[in-house]
Formats: sequence, C-alpha cells, structure tokens
Amino acid sequence: MSDKPQNTVLVGDDVHRQWSRFKYPQTLINYGILLSVLLFFSYSVHYLNIPLDRILGMFGRLGDVLANRYYPPDMEYIADKGYLNAIIETVQMAYLGALFGLMISIILGWFAAYNVSPSKTYIYPIARIFTMGCRSVHEMIWAILFVTILGFGLLPGVLALTMFSIGFAGKLIAEEIESIDMGEVEAIRAMGGNHLQIFVYGVFPQVRVAFTGIAIYTWDVAFRAATVVGFVGAGGMGWYLKRNVMQIETQRTAAILVSIVILVVISEFISAWARDRMSKAK
Amino acid sequence: MGTSTAPMTVDDVVRLRRKKHRLQFGFYLVLATLVLWSIQATIIEDTDWDRIGSLAEIGKSVSHFIGIDFKLIPSLLGPTIETFMIACIGTLLGLVICIPAIWFGALNVTPYKPVTYPVARIAMTLSRSIHEIVWALIFVSAVGLGAFAGILAIAARSLGFIAKMSAEAIENIDTKPVEAIRAMGGSNLQVMIYGILPQVLPVILGIVIFEWEINIRRSAILGLVGAGGLGLVFFRQMNTFNYPGVTTVILAIFGLILIGEVVSHYSRKAMI
Amino acid sequence: MAILEVIDLRARYSSRGPEILKGISFEVEEDDFFAIIGPSGAGKSTLIRCINRLIEPTSGTIQLHGTDMLGLNTKELRLMRRHIGMIFQEFNLINRMSVMDNVLSGRLGYVGAIRSIFRNFTNRDIQRALELLERVGLQDHVDKRADELSGGQRQRVGIARALMQEPNLLLLDEPTSALDPKISREVMTLIRTIATELKVPVLCNIHDVQLAKEFCNKIIGLQDGNKMFDGPTENLGQDQLDEIYAMEVL
Repeated sequence: MSDKPQNTVLVGDDVHRQWSRFKYPQTLINYGILLSVLLFFSYSVHYLNIPLDRILGMFGRLGDVLANRYYPPDMEYIADKGYLNAIIETVQMAYLGALFGLMISIILGWFAAYNVSPSKTYIYPIARIFTMGCRSVHEMIWAILFVTILGFGLLPGVLALTMFSIGFAGKLIAEEIESIDMGEVEAIRAMGGNHLQIFVYGVFPQVRVAFTGIAIYTWDVAFRAATVVGFVGAGGMGWYLKRNVMQIETQRTAAILVSIVILVVISEFISAWARDRMSKAK
Repeated sequence: MGTSTAPMTVDDVVRLRRKKHRLQFGFYLVLATLVLWSIQATIIEDTDWDRIGSLAEIGKSVSHFIGIDFKLIPSLLGPTIETFMIACIGTLLGLVICIPAIWFGALNVTPYKPVTYPVARIAMTLSRSIHEIVWALIFVSAVGLGAFAGILAIAARSLGFIAKMSAEAIENIDTKPVEAIRAMGGSNLQVMIYGILPQVLPVILGIVIFEWEINIRRSAILGLVGAGGLGLVFFRQMNTFNYPGVTTVILAIFGLILIGEVVSHYSRKAMI
Repeated sequence: MAILEVIDLRARYSSRGPEILKGISFEVEEDDFFAIIGPSGAGKSTLIRCINRLIEPTSGTIQLHGTDMLGLNTKELRLMRRHIGMIFQEFNLINRMSVMDNVLSGRLGYVGAIRSIFRNFTNRDIQRALELLERVGLQDHVDKRADELSGGQRQRVGIARALMQEPNLLLLDEPTSALDPKISREVMTLIRTIATELKVPVLCNIHDVQLAKEFCNKIIGLQDGNKMFDGPTENLGQDQLDEIYAMEVL
C-alpha cells in the first residue's frame, strides 16, 4: 500500500483547540433521561417478577411445546362442515361490522373534523370523545360487554366490530376531512348551503377516494379482530378456539391457528389488491 | 396511437357510459346482496330476539353498568401499573427482536436476499396476522400464567408492524451518505452506523412510540387468558356480576390510554 | 511521474446494457488539477466512480501510485479508498449529524469497528478536524447539524471531510453544480489552494467549461463514452469544444 508521508499541518500554528462531545446542560439532560428510562425498565422487570435466569430455558421449552404438543395440526378437524360454517360467519360478521361502523364513521368523521363540524363548541368535542372512546376500548372488551347485554351469538360480535370499526375509521376519516381544500366548501357556503349540503357537495366528493381506501383497510382489520371475538362468545371461529384451548386439544388448536393465519393472509392480499386497483382507477 | 385517435361518435360515448354504469350497478348489487345475506344469517337467523327481549329490558341491562365501585379503586393501582409495565417492556422486547427482522427485511441491506428476505417477511406477516389473544395463549402454554407471557405476546405482536414500517424506512433512505462512506473506505458496519442509522433512527423511534400506545390497549385485555394486569381484574368483576366494578376498570383503562397518548404526543414532538 | 494511470477503461451498468465508457486512457500527474468535461450523459460521473470502484469497470487498467486498483480484494480496496478523498455534487453529508461528526467520519477508514460505533476518535483526529474546519472557514459552526448549513457551507464540510482522510488523490464529482456561480468560484479556489498546499493531485469532473478553463491545468473531453480531447487547458479551443458538445447541439 502507498504510505506517502502525509501533510498534517494546514494552518501551521501549534494552537491546541478545545472541543468536547460533552455539552454542559444538554448532554447531562440526555444521559439523565436515558438513565431514568433504564431504571424504570429494570424496576419493571423486578416488579413483574420476570425470572431473568430462566428466560433462555423458556424459549427451549416453547420450542419443545410447539414441536411435541401442537404438531402436527389436526387438519381434519378444520375441514369439518361446522367449522367451515364458522368461517363464513366470521366473514359475515366482519363485513357487517365494518359496514355499519363505516356508515356511522362518515357522520362522526364529519362531526369530528374541526373545519366542517356543524358546531365547534358542542358537536365537535362530543364526536371526538366518542371516537376516542371507541378506539380506547379494545374489541374484546366491546365483545364482552355486548355478550353480557345481548347474550351469546353473532349479533354482539357484529356490534363489537361496529364499535371497533368506528374507532378505527372515525379518526382516519376525520383527519382526511380536515385536510381538504376549504375553497370548495366556502363556495357552497357562499351560495347559502346548509351544513348537510356543504357536507354532501363540498366535502364528500373530495374525500371519496380516500374513503374507499379507508373502507377496504377497515374491512381487513375488522376481519382480523373477528377471528377472535368469538373467544368470549360473540360467534365465529373464536368460539372453536376457546373450546379447544379449554379442553387442551392442542393439535386442534394448532389447526385453528393455522387456518386463522391463512385466512388473514388471504384477506390481506385481497385488501392490498383492491387498494391497488382503486388507486389505479381513481 | 392508431384506432384510439379515431373520433368517437355519440353512440360510442353513450355505449361506454352505459357499460360503466352497468358495471357500477353490478358492483353495488353484489355489495347489497352480501349485506342482505349477512344480515339474514347473523341478525335474523342466529339471534334469539325473544331472549334479548324488549328495548326496555336491554336498557335495564345497560343500566347495571352505570355507577362506579369506589371500594375497588385502591386495589386497581397494582394491576394498572402492571398493565403499563407489560406494555412498556413488551414494546422494548419487541423492538429488540425486531432488529434482525428489520435488517433482513429491508431489500437494500438484507445480507443474503434469496433466504433472509423471505424469512423476515414471513415473520412479519405471521406476527401481524395472529391476534394478541392468540399469541398470549401460545405463550401461556409455554411459560405459564403471568406477566411474562403477556410481555412475550405483546413483543410478538409488535414485531410485525415495527419491522415492516422500519424496513420500509430503510428502503427509502437517501443513498448519498452511504456512497460517501463507501468512497472513503468505510466497512459495511460503518455504512450502517453512519450512513443508514442516523437517517432512520428518528423514524423507527416514532414507529415504536406509536406501537407502544397501541400496546397499552392490548396489554389491558391480556388478563383474559391469564397474562396478568387490568384484564384479570376486569374478568373477575365480570364473573362476579359486579357491573359498576366493570365500569370502574374500563375508566382506569381510559386513564392509562390517555397518559399514553399525552406521553406519545410530546415525545414524538421532542424527537423531530 | 504519473500518480494515476488509466488505460483503456470500459464500463457498462448491466451485462446487456449499453457501454458507458468505451476505452478511456489518460494520466494524472503529481501537480495536476485535472478536469473531465463533456455533455451530460457522456460518462463523466461513471469515469470518476470507476477510479475508486464505486462502479466496477468491465475491463481496463487503473494504476494508482503503482497499485493495480482492479486487482484488489474487498479489504485491500477499502485500505486504498481511505487515501482517495471524494467530494460530491450534492455534498453527501450525514444530515442529522453535527458538522464535527461529519468531518470526523472522514477517518472511518482508519477506525476500528468498536471505536466507530461509539464515535470514539483519537485526540489527534479531533485536533485535525478542528484545524480543517478553521481552514475552510467553519469554526463557528462546529456543533451545528449539517442540514442547518447553506449549500456553500455544506460543500466546505465535504471538503474538510475529504481532507480528513489525508488523501493522496482527490476526486471531485461536479463539486459546484448545486451552488450558485459566486459560491462555486469560492469553493473551487479553496480546493485549488488546499490541493496545491498539500500537493494532492485532483481529478475533477465538471460541466461548466468556464470554471474548468479557469482552474484546471489539464482537460479531457468526453462525448458518449469516447475521449474527444486530451491536453493542457491552453490547447482547448472553440473547435475542440464544438466537437465535444456536438451531440448537445443536435
């Protein structure tokens, strides 16, 4: 290699220049934050009684459990007519839940979008809180609440998924509406249009395409949730899952899990394809 | 060019419009049929309306939930903290196990494309398509009941989203600094640390905080399958028919989520 | 004595794609400020990236200080590259890092893996970085983030980073085309002064003929992957320019 003698001096003075990576308050603050986060994490590990010394062994055991008890999946069980029926029910539940949720979300999104909300002082905060509430409560909790009120069956599942879809789509739609071009809204307002006319002629045409995208996405997510709401008695495949877990039918459980993964992947493909088609058609 | 430049007659236009309308009509017809079929199957056939009873009776069962069980509040503190911690450690663990998935799953840095890339993509899809409840079931059967199973479930469920978004961020980096570091004789590791990491680190942290916020919601229900936290209290109240207690737990979950949203909002702002 | 000797260099992007360089030969000597000019798409950028093998040439020879660049393995190539400074059209700085870290990153070729993870550079490197930043007039911006600087300032950071490598050859890839004319002259003057001071030969690809004539002592003209002109700047007349840029007129 070439090792030509190198030119080290440029300025030619022998001044020693001061520089340090440590900047007095800022670096200290950064390290402080880092340290407190680390402390919090280590305290959490202690508080939750996580047996750190046994963790590695646990992963070995996980492999063991999967290989010996869950393998091979009992595929005959899921080819059964009753189970196939449950799959169809799950799809229907997700479809209806997403549909109802979307219909409500359009109105809620309109109310919860600051720029076009009919009343900024009353309707806007109520719509916001309602969507946030739907988001905050997990779909399983919705399912349990509806099962308590209405009993076992598909109806509570549909309603739980409706609430879930409102939470999911409501915020997205409101955000979409908030980013529209206000000029068109102004034009209709200037013509003397009322709030409904403003929404139908000024707002909706602008968000229609984005809305279709959100709708497809919502359906996809709702289907994922639908596969498990049955766990608490809200119908569909989840009920089969619950029963086999409780009876420690591990190979059947494995088969059900496999079927869930396959169905979700299929639904994801459909959703991706539909969104792709849509963005091309515009 | 060619035939398409020939002027369209009025007939052509009308025919095209009709065809488009027929297609649209067919599409909506299919949608509507599906709706009716689903409604028929789920709401009409499957539901025992007699058992549900009248609207007044539904109102009565809803009214059970109104009220707050003040006696429960002191015993909620522990589980609330536990839920919060499960979400935090679960997200952190998720991020740690994500790192190889991000590395393998980004096309421009994956070490051996024909093998590592598909492996990472399959892991991401698996992680995202399995619901947290199902993950928790798997881990409970492997490591037993308790918070640890919940943490593993949260981590496994977070992997997919964090890894997918982060890998996309890496695929979309500006390649100019990478070229500069290669040109000055930097190794692959140095390219990663100096050329790629500074660009994607803020993005990844943003994604992680977003996922952490969702994980608070998730960890609140893992008690359903025995993975500890507020969920366990929730189901205990449910099973003892203490409906005001149920409401109280839900309010506690709300509070926790609110804290999460505030923290996430400010920390994301601070990072930009 | 020739520092860099390129013989019959050919390059193409893909095995079936068109040839970008169709047999280029030239020599760079110790005191040269060597310009490559030509219309866009002529292969200037490819040529300069072939020298340090950011783009792999398909055939030909590159001799740098008597070392055959194309015969090097990955490790040897890295060791060779750390002595070749490169300055880029769009600066190619690490935008989210400070000016100081950007300049220090010029030492990466000399720094081991662990030290580079913790950005642990020697005191000598830090002294040299500060000296260089002073030399390019950025002593007041040491701790700013690179994306807070103006275009001209960023290119100065790029210059300091290249000099950090203690290069024995500087490659400039259109160093001024993202800058306005006044700043361009300042940057070129700075590079020429420092290069003369340190006795580093410069190979510069530039589309601005005026700048090339002003700053460079030797010029080669490329057109569509072929060398159309090779000689001292004084010999480059209007006729030669017309020939080099003939394609562009069409």
